Amino acid sequence: MGSGCGHEAKGDDWEGIDGAQDPKERPGNHEGGHSGSHIVKPPTGEELRKIKDATDLYRSTSFKLQIDALLPNVRPKYTHAQPLEAFLMSLHKLLMGLPSVSPQHPLHASRALSQKGIAVPYVRPLPTEDTNWKVSFEKPSEIVLGGSWATKTAVKAKDGAKYEVDVAVEMPSALFQEKDYLNARVFQKRAYYLAVIASAIAESSSLQCELSYESTSGDPRRTTLVLRPVADGSPMDFSKLNAQIRIVPYIGQSPIPLQRLSPAKSNIRTAAQDDESREDPTPIYNTACMLMTTPKSHLLSVHNLKQNVPAFADALALLRVWANQRGYGLGSRMCVRGFEGKGMWWASILDLVVNGEEPPPVSLGKAGTKRKPLGKGLSSYQLFKAALDFLARHNFHEESVFVKAKDGHRFPPGSYSSHEAVFVDSTSSINLLADVPISSLDLLRHDAQATLEALDHSSISEDPFQTVFLKEHRDVFARFDIVTRVDVSSAEMRKASAHLVADHGSVYNALMTTLVSTLRRGLGNRAKAIAVLHPTSDVRPTSQAHPVNPSVVHIGIVLDPEHAFRLVDHGPPAEETESERTKHFREFWGEKAELRRFKDGSIVESVVWEVKNSDERAHIPSMIVRHLLRRHFSIGGDAVQTWQSQYDGLLRVPESISSIYQATGATVGFKAALTAFDALVKQIKALDDEFPLAVLNVSPVSPALRYTDVFVPVAVPVPSRSALPKSASYLPAMEIVIEFEKSARWPDDLRAIQKIKLAFFERLATILMGAVKGLQASVVLGERPDRLEIQDEAALDILTQEGWAFRARIWHDREATLLDRIINDQPHLPKALRRNASGEDARERQAALQAREVYTRRFIHAPRHHRAIAALCHKFAAFAGTVRLTKRWFASHWLLRGHVSEEAVELLCAYVFLRTGTPTSVEIAANQAIAAPGSKERGFAQVVEFLKDWDWTTGIAIPLDNADQTSAATPTPPATSSRDAAWSLTTPFDPQGHMWTSSGPNAVIARRITALAKATWECLKGMETGASSRIFHHPVDHYDFVVELNPAISPRYHQQLDADSSVWASKGKYANALSKDAPAATLPGFDPFAMLYDDLKFVYADTVLLFYDPLGGNRIGAVWQPSLRTPRPFRVLGGFSSMPASKVEAKAKDKDKGLVVVNENAIFTEIKRIGSALAVRVVPHSAQ
Amino acid sequence: MGKTSSPAKAKRAAPTAEGSSSSSSLPASISGFTLLPIAYSASATHILYARAHSAPKHKNTKGKQKEKTASLPEGRTLFLVNVPPDATERELTLLFKSCGTVERVVFSTGGGGAAQPEEILENEEESEGESDAEGAAVSQSDGEDEDADTRPKKKRRVAQPEGPQVVPLPSPSIRTLRRTGHTAYVVFLDASSLERALKPPQKPYPWPVDKETPLGLAHYTALYSALRPPLDVVRAHADSWMEAFEHEQAKKRQESKYRKGEAIVDEDGFTLVTRGGAYGKTLGGGVGVASKQFQEEQAGATSKRRRKDKKEKKEKEAFYAFQIHEKKRKELIDLKKKFEEDREKIEKLKQTRKFKPY
Repeated sequence: MGSGCGHEAKGDDWEGIDGAQDPKERPGNHEGGHSGSHIVKPPTGEELRKIKDATDLYRSTSFKLQIDALLPNVRPKYTHAQPLEAFLMSLHKLLMGLPSVSPQHPLHASRALSQKGIAVPYVRPLPTEDTNWKVSFEKPSEIVLGGSWATKTAVKAKDGAKYEVDVAVEMPSALFQEKDYLNARVFQKRAYYLAVIASAIAESSSLQCELSYESTSGDPRRTTLVLRPVADGSPMDFSKLNAQIRIVPYIGQSPIPLQRLSPAKSNIRTAAQDDESREDPTPIYNTACMLMTTPKSHLLSVHNLKQNVPAFADALALLRVWANQRGYGLGSRMCVRGFEGKGMWWASILDLVVNGEEPPPVSLGKAGTKRKPLGKGLSSYQLFKAALDFLARHNFHEESVFVKAKDGHRFPPGSYSSHEAVFVDSTSSINLLADVPISSLDLLRHDAQATLEALDHSSISEDPFQTVFLKEHRDVFARFDIVTRVDVSSAEMRKASAHLVADHGSVYNALMTTLVSTLRRGLGNRAKAIAVLHPTSDVRPTSQAHPVNPSVVHIGIVLDPEHAFRLVDHGPPAEETESERTKHFREFWGEKAELRRFKDGSIVESVVWEVKNSDERAHIPSMIVRHLLRRHFSIGGDAVQTWQSQYDGLLRVPESISSIYQATGATVGFKAALTAFDALVKQIKALDDEFPLAVLNVSPVSPALRYTDVFVPVAVPVPSRSALPKSASYLPAMEIVIEFEKSARWPDDLRAIQKIKLAFFERLATILMGAVKGLQASVVLGERPDRLEIQDEAALDILTQEGWAFRARIWHDREATLLDRIINDQPHLPKALRRNASGEDARERQAALQAREVYTRRFIHAPRHHRAIAALCHKFAAFAGTVRLTKRWFASHWLLRGHVSEEAVELLCAYVFLRTGTPTSVEIAANQAIAAPGSKERGFAQVVEFLKDWDWTTGIAIPLDNADQTSAATPTPPATSSRDAAWSLTTPFDPQGHMWTSSGPNAVIARRITALAKATWECLKGMETGASSRIFHHPVDHYDFVVELNPAISPRYHQQLDADSSVWASKGKYANALSKDAPAATLPGFDPFAMLYDDLKFVYADTVLLFYDPLGGNRIGAVWQPSLRTPRPFRVLGGFSSMPASKVEAKAKDKDKGLVVVNENAIFTEIKRIGSALAVRVVPHSAQ
Repeated sequence: MGKTSSPAKAKRAAPTAEGSSSSSSLPASISGFTLLPIAYSASATHILYARAHSAPKHKNTKGKQKEKTASLPEGRTLFLVNVPPDATERELTLLFKSCGTVERVVFSTGGGGAAQPEEILENEEESEGESDAEGAAVSQSDGEDEDADTRPKKKRRVAQPEGPQVVPLPSPSIRTLRRTGHTAYVVFLDASSLERALKPPQKPYPWPVDKETPLGLAHYTALYSALRPPLDVVRAHADSWMEAFEHEQAKKRQESKYRKGEAIVDEDGFTLVTRGGAYGKTLGGGVGVASKQFQEEQAGATSKRRRKDKKEKKEKEAFYAFQIHEKKRKELIDLKKKFEEDREKIEKLKQTRKFKPY
């Protein structure tokens, strides 16, 4: 094989590409292309077409390949179908051979069957002794294999639910009479028919199976018989197939006039409304009736679709996988209400996409339809996307959909007016959405929009395939802004209507429907979607006539942050006091409705939600839910469970402390902190005359000034600070950066600059104290006892009269240049020519690198980061809360500050909010990132979800947009030690992504965080079932030892999660005696625990990993470096406190080496000594 | 541990090892170091490793080296390993009081003496033939810390007696914590003290805790207030420091032969070309120099780029038909390659059962 051959092949292929030659003619060549190890050949025409198809029709080749890999996993293995077929054959034989049962009274009939242990699933109104109709049985006139199994479009359901093999059994029309449509008589006859079949199968010796009833959607009228195989290894045991047989009786030639079943007709006569003139239609009832006639026609229409549209089966599978992952299908947890047994609906969506809409009758005047058919040649992905597009755009509330039908409309479109949502199938016989709550469709729409957004913004780091098809989206806490767990077992409808119950077939279904619609009305535009979630109905033994409904449901609400927290709901104006509308309004809201006069002079019926603070404002939607549930369904108290206040409690100081705040007249809140900051800036700027240089800019860089501090900032006036207990005396110093105007008078020497800063601070302090009454200021030399001469260290502590503490630093941009000069002192020489730095220079350079890093972080990135995060807080209402919760989580697992910086947490949260693409500022108002969380609880859950799955070896890019930043000025950050930086969080101004993660988490900690996130996620899942949350409780048993600190000394102890209030409760007889003899000075930012932790971390850097909760934690956890536990040879610079290994251990290996092990006892004693008066004791693991 | 390099010490340690029956199961020496158990408390015993200090004999004939050997005289200097992290000079002096009078203590990582001890450390390590990565890392990070501590000396140097005096910031006695397992030199007054110190003690030395320099809460409170000196002190310090700095600068300028605005011409007649500072001309003078950007560009190995430029000019793309063909063919091959890559990736994912959605 030489180059000649290659050329030849090339020539051939050329024509192939042009389409002139069929590549199949040259199979040998084709093979050669594959097997010829590394001689790369151009693809053949066939291959090329495939590749092109994949990119053009499936968005990308890898997407297509992933689809191909996915599909076989969600389809039944028809190769195992042999036993099933045998079973079906004998079932057929059995059913066809059943003897007739002569007509008899329904109660007599059921008595006879109940002796065999079979209950007849009669529906309401139950037959009584004086019913005058009879039930009977005759062998089926036809048996059809129906549903998705027959058309081979079955898709695996969630939670191990089985594939359904529908066996449609036609009940002979002789059994029915024309008037049977009335008062559910047809359903009683169907029920009896089913019961007879059940008893026959139960008695049969040839069919070994488990028999049970199941009622789709909990509707007793739609009860079916479910046959599950018994795994006995017989030739008819089809348990390998993971399928079950469902026997569905249907009516073929109906004696019932179809017109009676039109959706606008009423077919139930209740005692209350006997006269036919003012009858309400019974849409659900009628639909259930109609469903008895459709199995065969649906089978045919799906079959036709499958024949005509090649990609139909694949597209349907994709659509259903997508839907199942989001709970629109069967499953044992958190399924959206209304989507049971809706296989036909998913198929019909594709039908609509392919065939278009049935135009409205000409008489209505509207010509043509809006939806054009898309044609049959689309790929599966295109069909899927078109279906999503339909779901995302269509407003079910306002428009009806009629799929293109063969014979036009069967019922006039107007007759569907009593339905909430209308989607009529291609047989034009039933509205597939008749029993689907409109709010569930809202959610479907929301999900479709979110998915489309993910697909369209795929450029952003993640592969959309994962989130669209493979990821489970049913976890309520990451899905809904507000989750309410409601126990409906004791619910009573305020306006229970017999008609409604009769229409829905059961009290429970009627209750659910009213519940959802009440909530939807009450919440109005506050919510984008409301969903009732519960497990789908399950099988029940055949001795039980009626379905059991889940007594606990979850209500998930997706908020529209723009309206959700409105304080007032307006009703009709006062003039209409007696109108129907006003009555409705008053009836709906009950005692909450009142007439109010508003500022614009109008007097309007309104509902006002009173809130005490901003925390509570976020509760308004759940307050509404609670109110409505209590008013309309008498569900109250413990039966309604929300989690919001639990989360709020995490971000609040204990009651006893906040009452002290109130007593001392403290100012509380982020706004107040910002006001104080503004005031300080003004005061500083006012001093320009007395100062050699004018202040150019003062930028805040503290979380407390950007809404993201875990605790709301509090300022207690300095004189009354003594009222605070010691455990709550912590006063955080908010960092600010002062920038002076440029001047040539700065010295050109790093050390001198630091000294000048001291001088500036001193002047500033003196002048400020003179100018502002009650202000205290002191110059801070640095953080540590030893001084770093060239690094920015000095700061100014400012304590205002109201009690706010600031820490100011001076930014002088010349420092950067000077430092760079030390780092790279010969920029003009190529690298190779530079002389090697000698020891002294190297050290100088090392110090300069460190100083440069501090400089870059402190003066360049921190203010930018602050601005970007503050902007996000304004853009997303839930962002700040999410950050605060997430910080609390990191802190309570002893990671914040020590291992994960606050800024890194903020970036992580920003990622969750921004990952679906950055809406540009114009788009935001209209389309505020659909998937962005609307409440802090959901935001937090999403962060946890993200952390649990995040492969942190690949970084994430956070598209912070920041208008005021000039990207050109981004300085190249100095090389950082990447040893500790496992996370890479890149932002537009930090392309390497290690600015806030350079000092941790390292790989060990990052792995730990993943594990913690997983555990937390499991906890969240557990909360679904009502388990109490342990999310913020940190287990300590995996630490090798724990240093216990004296909580009474920590000035932040009150911030701890379950702080023991007795620590700060005044002891002794005289409550005020203590506070007087200890007039503790106000020490902004003084936290001895944190100082101790930092010291220990520095001292034992190579010996132990230390963990600590900066928010009032009084324990430090430690894990030995694993390598230290085994004896190792003695070395001078071992870097740990060692002692000779005991002889027993040493003997095992060679003795002469002088093995040593870590001297645990001595280290414990050292820690206690270093932390004397702080550390109470050191508890090694064995003692715990 | 290099036994070959220090056989003398090993021998010295050996006879004492037999005598130490009191200190329970502990060996008397390890790798040439005498073990000095120190009782922290009744239950906890810390181990100090001691050896007589011997200056490295080979290489490094820098002047500095000699200075060092002078500060750590052989024969009466004890080299200690695994010094408690919070040890102060005073505490170590007290510890060895029974052996003899301690002249001074030199910590390896900063503080105390005037030498650059960590370089000695490096040599110690080399002589022991254990210059592995970890040791190097430690000594380097030591260098960082140490750096900070040497600097005050420079400051002092700036403030020469003839210039204005710098008013120092108050420095109360505050402990410096060091990394655990660090080393120190104890210089005794006479050689016999060293002998005594190297003899394993009958019972562990108790660790003397210096009450003067506080630990724990008291330490942190003291540190906090020490870092916030009174304003007038700060002012006096900053002003005097700047004065001294100005003085120094002025002196330098006087000494310098460079004058502002004048070109510097050396004896061969070459003019020195320098660049001014950001705020105009600094020391020295005259002739303008290329911008910094230009310099950086020069440094960034531009020669290669220039060569490439030339080459590009030579040939035109897509000029001949075969070039077009080649290009198209290459594109197709790339397409296929990417496809195959994707397929492989998916195959791999398939094996990890990633495509089971539920």
